[in-house]
Amino acid sequence: MESTQVAEARIRARDNALSLLNNITAYTAFAAVAGVGIFGTVSALTIPGVSASSSSGATASVATSGATVIAATSNSSDSSSSSSPSSGLSASSGSVSSSSSSAVAVSGGS
Amino acid sequence: MSDIVLWYTTRGAGAVSMILLSAVVILGVLSTLRFQGSGWPRFLTPALHRNLALMTLVFLGLHIVTAVVDPFTHLGWLTAVVPFSSYYRTFWLGLGTISFELLAAIVATSLLRGVIGQAAWRAIHWLAYASWPVAVIHGFGTGTDALSGWFIVLSIVCVGSVVIAIAYRMVQPSPDLLTSARSEFRSAVSRKPDQ
Repeated sequence: MESTQVAEARIRARDNALSLLNNITAYTAFAAVAGVGIFGTVSALTIPGVSASSSSGATASVATSGATVIAATSNSSDSSSSSSPSSGLSASSGSVSSSSSSAVAVSGGS
Repeated sequence: MSDIVLWYTTRGAGAVSMILLSAVVILGVLSTLRFQGSGWPRFLTPALHRNLALMTLVFLGLHIVTAVVDPFTHLGWLTAVVPFSSYYRTFWLGLGTISFELLAAIVATSLLRGVIGQAAWRAIHWLAYASWPVAVIHGFGTGTDALSGWFIVLSIVCVGSVVIAIAYRMVQPSPDLLTSARSEFRSAVSRKPDQ
């Protein structure tokens, strides 16, 4: 009789342990899936160029200001020479974002 | 799915894989101590070790697949199989391939433990001590986030935990109560009769 109770207690303890194992595994899997999202987001926020404190941000702002200069120069040339075709203007402003080296056009215009 | 999402998923899955792999190594080291307590029977540690190892393979698969199918990187499937075949950071990506293949061999032989035998399984299982540091070095060499503060902290925590677990294992006496008896028996068997 007593041995039966001992056996039942051992079976119950084993079942509890297996339940604990399943819970830990499930929680770990859930945490791991969440971790992929969290770490992906953190890496996205800390990647150089995205953060405002990074040095690449300064480079990006320089490029943007350069593009602004080109666009402004194009507009001024447009206003100064009204007879010039507008197709040249549109081609110049369109290439601002793709190639910052179009600053050659700025020096040539001046 | 956009390549940006793939790229960030690759990095997130890599970080999670490093955490899981470190936990697997720690549980593997501690399972040799045969720890047990109230509500924590002895079989629970190796069972959790096995479950987390399989989970690590899943997230490593996610890490590799998202990196390969990312159209921006153009890594190709050969990179995932053949070490040092990538055009991009050849050495560091090769370390990742080696680490993954070592881990795959460890998991495969563990699942086939009854077929290959205890001695072969144990010999291959020692490769885990090579797979984990190679994976950590791969993360530092290849990882875009290697110099990020959060990744450095994460790596320090993982490496520190594994080192502490190994040191604890080495300091602790053998949990096998028959260790001395076995060694005496072996020495008695190997001793020559005239000695």
